[in-house]
Amino acid sequence: MSTPRRGASLAAAWQVFRKELVDALRDRRTLLMVLLSSVAIGPLLLVALSTLVADFEARAEARELYAVGLESAPTLRNYIERQAWQIHPAPADHEAALVKRSFGHAVLVVPASFERDLAEGLVPRLVLVTASANQRAQSSASGVSRLLQGFSQEQASLRLVMRGVGPALLQPVAVDERDLADPRARAAQFTRLLPFFVLMAVLYGALHAALDTTAGERERGSLEPLLMTPVPRLALVLGKWGAVASVGMGVAVLSCFSFLPGQWLLRSETLSAMFQFGWPEALQFLALLLPLAALLSALLMAVAIRCKSFKEAQANTTVVVLAVSLLPMVTAFNQGGEQPWHLWTPALAQITLMQRVLEGEALGAADLALPLAVALAGSALCLAYVARQLRAAALK
Amino acid sequence: MIAVQALAKQFSTGSGRSRRVVAAVQSVSFVAADGCITGLLGPNGAGKTTTLRMIAGLVVPDAGHISVDGIDVARQPQAAQARLGVLSDARGLYPRLTARENIVYYGRLHGLSRDAAEARATLLAGMLEMQPLMERRTEGFSQGERMKTALARALVHDPSHIILDEPTNGLDVLATRSLREALRRLRDEQRKCIVFSTHIMQEVERLCDQVVVVAGGRTVAEGSVPQLLARTGHADFEACFVQLAFGVAAGGESAAGHIAAGVVA
Repeated sequence: MSTPRRGASLAAAWQVFRKELVDALRDRRTLLMVLLSSVAIGPLLLVALSTLVADFEARAEARELYAVGLESAPTLRNYIERQAWQIHPAPADHEAALVKRSFGHAVLVVPASFERDLAEGLVPRLVLVTASANQRAQSSASGVSRLLQGFSQEQASLRLVMRGVGPALLQPVAVDERDLADPRARAAQFTRLLPFFVLMAVLYGALHAALDTTAGERERGSLEPLLMTPVPRLALVLGKWGAVASVGMGVAVLSCFSFLPGQWLLRSETLSAMFQFGWPEALQFLALLLPLAALLSALLMAVAIRCKSFKEAQANTTVVVLAVSLLPMVTAFNQGGEQPWHLWTPALAQITLMQRVLEGEALGAADLALPLAVALAGSALCLAYVARQLRAAALK
Repeated sequence: MIAVQALAKQFSTGSGRSRRVVAAVQSVSFVAADGCITGLLGPNGAGKTTTLRMIAGLVVPDAGHISVDGIDVARQPQAAQARLGVLSDARGLYPRLTARENIVYYGRLHGLSRDAAEARATLLAGMLEMQPLMERRTEGFSQGERMKTALARALVHDPSHIILDEPTNGLDVLATRSLREALRRLRDEQRKCIVFSTHIMQEVERLCDQVVVVAGGRTVAEGSVPQLLARTGHADFEACFVQLAFGVAAGGESAAGHIAAGVVA
């Protein structure tokens, strides 16, 4: 007796699933917005990031010096050229241009007596003209001062050597830096935002469908007739949840795979060398995101089933959206590093683990199993709640 | 056959100090026979909708007994629901599905195969004269078109019992006529047991074989229209109803005042 009935319930749940999915997919305008924001977000973010990084790199690599009166200082000029810097004459109106920020380089002004003073052991005075309100000129000024410091040090060493003193006297301590971060971990600083955007895309993907199958159904007055069919409430809820979760998962798949072609758009060579997002990474992202999509769908439905109208449900689900978008901040505030409870918290766990994937760490089975178990248990709880609320919801 | 015995249901609203208990239905009993249209007639707030919802298995009664073809609704709600076609007060359709898809979806939920559900939808479209609507999305349907679609949806599994809650609400004359015609044909050709609630006298006079007058959550009278007229001694059915429902002789100003007070209360 119970087996055919269970079969009938499953068949009914399948019918509900199919209908809700068709219904959601026919909502073209909403779907288009969700798809645009989820699929476009990967490449867009990458392009924005790579432009930013490329700009940093270009500025760091630029070895250009704008100077006035350098022709009267052959020793300095020789040093600068040996350091492979390019020397340009500064424009005549460079002071006004620096103030107006139309000129982005600090200008070195060399006095006419420079060479003679240097030879005689007097201290010649160089002037580095910049404007601290001019960001670009300011950042180039630091490069130029390092260059001039190098010249100064070289001259000092030469004089010491000529007097028979070891240059080490002037530098009693040597500092070597060792950077432990591997290139991918360094790139993860720039790509920290990506997991967050993928997560939000999944949430927004599931949001509309979740509200439509619960609060929307109440508002239309189609929930009451639905409950008068001999379909068990749990079967109805399972079918609806399946459809909502499928939409959320579809968005997850699209947004993860949108990073694959997105990589070709990278303008920064170093970033594209460091940011390696291939099929293995995409699949690991999905292994994390799919259970979360299921949980978020169930949670949104549980919140929305209590609401009489779509509008009310939108207001109520703001809490869920806010929680999911604030949770990742825990990692930003928490300086103590990753805590064990992070992996127990939905959304936070996925963000943390996606971050690890981007840093090139391998995920263990336990890392995947814990958030999966939490998602399954949470979904089951939410769905049981929706099934319990369904009848009361239909009548009010 | 639907048999309802001493049905009672109360709802509580609010919580804490503002908690109030409203007795929606106190004692409703009637028997609706097969091949017969039974009208549940009563003023607004008499408990008609709650009674119909209890029959449909959507609300669990506090007391009393309901059986559909001998099946106890309280014990086997799903078996009873399979025999009922309900056009409830809420008749929302899915706006992004066509009329046919709306109807077939319910057929599938009632366990029909795809072919059987499609065939039923086509048959009902012919009966309710809604063939031109079938392949259109229900978004933008008129009230009459919505009602026809919702009725076809309720009848898709060919139920032996049909329950309609104020089916003519918001319908124009032509749509009301075509609905009435459809109900008569269901009764005469297929010997369905039809129960519908209304507060419109004309409906009852033109359509019902049997009338159950409900007021204040109780059954106050039961019988055919001529029987009820004879019992109260009125020639006018409206006057007859007012006397049965409110217990006063109709026609005078005082009666009208009493009705107004009764409706407000």
